[in-house]
Amino acid sequence: MPDLTAAEPAIDVRDLCVDRGGAPVLRNLRLSVNAGEVYALLGGNGAGKSTTLAVLMGLLRPAGGSVEVMGLDPATQADAVRRRIAYLPETVALYETLSAYENIAYFLGLSGDRPSRAEMDAALDAAGLQAGARTRRTGGFSKGMRQKVAIAMALLREVPVLLLDEPTTGLDPVAASDFNALVGGLRERGAAVLMVTHDLLGAADCADRIGFLAGGGIVEEVRADDGLDVLALHRRFGEAAAG
Amino acid sequence: MSRLGQELRLFLRQRLAVPTLALLALLAAVSVAAGVTEIRRQAETIARIQPLQAAEEAVVAAWVSRDGDAGNAAYYTFHATWDRPSALAFAALGQRDVAPYVLRVRALALESQIHEGETYNAELALPGRFDWAFVLTFLAPLILIVLLHDLISGEREAGRLQALQAAGGRAGLWTRRAGLRAGLVFVAVAAPFVAGAAVSGAQAVEVLGVLAVAGLYLLFWTLVCLGVGALGRSSVANGAVLAATWVVLTLVLPALAHIAINSANPVRQGVELTLAQREAVHAGWDKPKDATLAAFFKVHPEWRDTPPVTSGFHWKWYYAFQHLGDLSVADPVRAYRRGLESRDAWTARVGLVLPAVGLQTTLHRMAGTDLAAQLAYQDRIRAFHERLRRFYYPYIFNETPFREGDFAKAPRWAEGD
Amino acid sequence: MSPVLHIAANELRLMARARVAQLAIALVVILSAVAALTAISQGRESQEIRSRFQAQADREFDGQPARHPHRMVHYGHFVFRPLPALAGFDPGVDAFTGSTLFLEGHRQNSANFGDVRQSSLLVRFGQLTPAFVIQALGPLVLIFLGFGAIARERDSGLLRLHFTQGVRAGQVVLGKAAALSVVAGLILAPALGALAWLTLVGGAAPVAALTLAAGYAAYLLVWVLATTSISALAPSSRTALASLVAAWALSAILAPRLATDIALLAAPQPTRLETDIAIQRDLKEIGDSHNPDDPYFNAFRASVLKTYGVARVEDLPVNYRGLIAMEGERLTSSLFERYAERQFADQRRQSGLALALGLVSPTLAVRSLSMAASGTDLEGHRRFLRQAEAYRYAIVQRLNRLQVERLTFSDDSKRNSDPEAGRRVRIDPGAWRQTPDFIYRPASTTEALGAATPGLLLLGGWLALAGGLAWAASRRLERAGA
Repeated sequence: MPDLTAAEPAIDVRDLCVDRGGAPVLRNLRLSVNAGEVYALLGGNGAGKSTTLAVLMGLLRPAGGSVEVMGLDPATQADAVRRRIAYLPETVALYETLSAYENIAYFLGLSGDRPSRAEMDAALDAAGLQAGARTRRTGGFSKGMRQKVAIAMALLREVPVLLLDEPTTGLDPVAASDFNALVGGLRERGAAVLMVTHDLLGAADCADRIGFLAGGGIVEEVRADDGLDVLALHRRFGEAAAG
Repeated sequence: MSRLGQELRLFLRQRLAVPTLALLALLAAVSVAAGVTEIRRQAETIARIQPLQAAEEAVVAAWVSRDGDAGNAAYYTFHATWDRPSALAFAALGQRDVAPYVLRVRALALESQIHEGETYNAELALPGRFDWAFVLTFLAPLILIVLLHDLISGEREAGRLQALQAAGGRAGLWTRRAGLRAGLVFVAVAAPFVAGAAVSGAQAVEVLGVLAVAGLYLLFWTLVCLGVGALGRSSVANGAVLAATWVVLTLVLPALAHIAINSANPVRQGVELTLAQREAVHAGWDKPKDATLAAFFKVHPEWRDTPPVTSGFHWKWYYAFQHLGDLSVADPVRAYRRGLESRDAWTARVGLVLPAVGLQTTLHRMAGTDLAAQLAYQDRIRAFHERLRRFYYPYIFNETPFREGDFAKAPRWAEGD
Repeated sequence: MSPVLHIAANELRLMARARVAQLAIALVVILSAVAALTAISQGRESQEIRSRFQAQADREFDGQPARHPHRMVHYGHFVFRPLPALAGFDPGVDAFTGSTLFLEGHRQNSANFGDVRQSSLLVRFGQLTPAFVIQALGPLVLIFLGFGAIARERDSGLLRLHFTQGVRAGQVVLGKAAALSVVAGLILAPALGALAWLTLVGGAAPVAALTLAAGYAAYLLVWVLATTSISALAPSSRTALASLVAAWALSAILAPRLATDIALLAAPQPTRLETDIAIQRDLKEIGDSHNPDDPYFNAFRASVLKTYGVARVEDLPVNYRGLIAMEGERLTSSLFERYAERQFADQRRQSGLALALGLVSPTLAVRSLSMAASGTDLEGHRRFLRQAEAYRYAIVQRLNRLQVERLTFSDDSKRNSDPEAGRRVRIDPGAWRQTPDFIYRPASTTEALGAATPGLLLLGGWLALAGGLAWAASRRLERAGA
């Protein structure tokens, strides 16, 4: 992993404004995630969580404000930005007739990487996918297993930034806590993780900071430490979303 | 509000429903219009040849009757025959575009006349005509597939399936929905046909017969669609499977059957018999006249006692060896005919297995535009030719002068021939 | 490996693992191979039969006994249209035009015994030939295997995964198209094998075979690009499948038949019977040899007498009856030619109209190209009819000339009343043997290529259009960002 201790945040969003279909979605959003930090972005449906991720990947152009990912502008340097990002959608899509190894080899091959079997095994070990599953076709994989394959790809690509879209939705409590532990591992490797979620409890479990998105901007941001009153926070967020 | 009416409103509100049905109705209407136009053109041609034929006959009569030589009258007078299209022919044009429906014959050897072809543009005949039978056989199933492939899977993908099934009357619901869609397809394709049949003056029984066959064919495809849908795959998979089934049943298997039938029933006798018949006829010139006439009198003893032939040339002898030429190839003619009928019979058998073939066979049989109809026309020509010969023989063998008034006495082609 | 090749290789691996794809490819390859084998063997068989019949007809003509030459004019001759070598690939209109023609004096007969009238209605379902398999079924296989190539990956999110790996939309479109092209190659392979066989063993012109190969490759490439593009443009894989199958049905099933009906409606042709009557009428208008007072034939007699400087036809050094026969044949033949050319022109106009619909159907374009390059288009049959008519005229006039030169007028006039004269008018059968046989001259490569050009140009246009569509689809995919 590259040295990410620089003062610059890995993700830096300032006064971001985005319109979709003529309607404003994001208004002056400010957000930054540092290397080795996990940031959980919470919000109701349509609050603009996924829109934020699309802007960070250069799939959507902002109407105003500035966005930097590892010092690069996704709007103008999308390719360079994408090379530094791993994105995990809500449901990780894989080729179902290919095995975990083959999926990893294919997607890494798209950018010219050819990981060895040992390298893949190391990454899959870190992601926690059982050795027996690795040669099986991914058609029968659970959501959690798919996520592990995607995490392994991110590790192999050594990206400094991970974007996670609703990673724990639909996971059973054991798998969810398993995943949250995995995210903790990513932080230790020095990655900047931005996680979009509905799951306050999970966010409190693994994030360093939690931002609540409503009305196109962050209405409240808290540091998640042992003293966090999750129940009180839940009520506050609920009121903010309604108001 | 009845349940069916409710389903109808629901169905017609779907994005593809009305345009798809309208497209089918339009194609069916165009095909019927094209068929009616073509049949009307054929009827006009048949009407048009009558005065042409009369004028030509008058010219022949004018110079033949000067010396009253009956041999010349029989030699130079062509007699028109025609095969009027049936009232249903507009729906299934069949072989009428490649086989003649008007043909002239003389009292000479028939085998060199009856196989004569029509002039047509083979490049246009190759793909076939755009008639109603085509729309029904090939396009209607595709439309059914479009409307039925997602009948159940579409509801499942929209997340409504469980709710619908919980609402009860499962079988009833799908029967109602499928029946409604298939019924609308039937109406879209059948209505233009009924209109065309009315214009052409087809009888109610015939129309009902065609509608019954069409209904059965569409029922088959509806069941196929439901069967594939019942396997519980996605809409896309259903669509692909049904389209592939359509290709195999309407294109691939009929083409394979065609190859198999034609190689199992070779018909080379056509060329062989014309070559042989020419040899027989022309050898007549070189054979002793007595022998030729003796052979002829065996078939036609009624002319045995007419005056004997003494000169170098006599029409008696000429028409005798013309007819003997035909008789000499009677066996290959029968074999050729059997070969053709066997091909037709095998096709009918294939039709029992392949619905598209069965439908085409039945429709063209009903419309009288198939190979059997073509052979029946030839049979009528043979009978007519027989009458022609028997009309001229008394003049020729009794050496009776053939006068202008005699031309009018010649047999005329009648619809009932 | 470039991303394009990487994507293409992966797509092929996915196809290789999908049961449906395996089945579809296997089916079409087997069908194509069966079609090629049967077409080649049937073509060879029917060519053998035709040359055997031709040899028989030649032998029978040569073997006729001593006769009056006019008898031979009516005995006539049979000619058979040889099957071009590439008919094993695309028999074209062969089954729809008779292959044998009876040639005799003052009559023009039709070519008879075409397979279409000797077959049941099954023949109208289309004949299973390599050409048919590629024209009609090839595109369908490409559609089934390719409709989801991009659409399904967008539905599932795999496409976005590509983009987040820094792959461009154009590379995805190109990669998927490349994989589908490999399938197209598999579909084409048995047909190419058949073409190679027909060229190396059957003696077909290599240039024509190459034109066919190029034309069909272009045709399948059009469908490859169209399928990939529609897969990229359609909102869902279901819509992609529906639109592609609709496009296929329009191009391969509907357009050819509609083209036929439109062309026939726009330019109808008279029936053979009407043409026969019209020719007879025109002939009577020129002159009637049966009428002793006919001005045309009186003038002809006067000019003949003047040429030879005699007063009566009996005094001519040649047989006047033969001269009349020659003149009559000259007149009828010129009418035959005029009517035939008019009919050919009508047919060309019809075919031209039908080909114009190639603007909406690449299948029509490739069909025209295929029949032209194979030498089995209607032009090939017309060439046969024209050569056969020229041959008919030549042998009839040759026989008439024998009547002019070898028979005396007096013998010829009393041949039926005087047995001695009747014997003298029969000339030595050596003359029949000296009559040259019919040798059909097939289209030259230049002619075949010329006939194939409109189809080639149309296909070129389609290829450009499909390329443009692929480019537009890439642009839109890139902008939409999946």
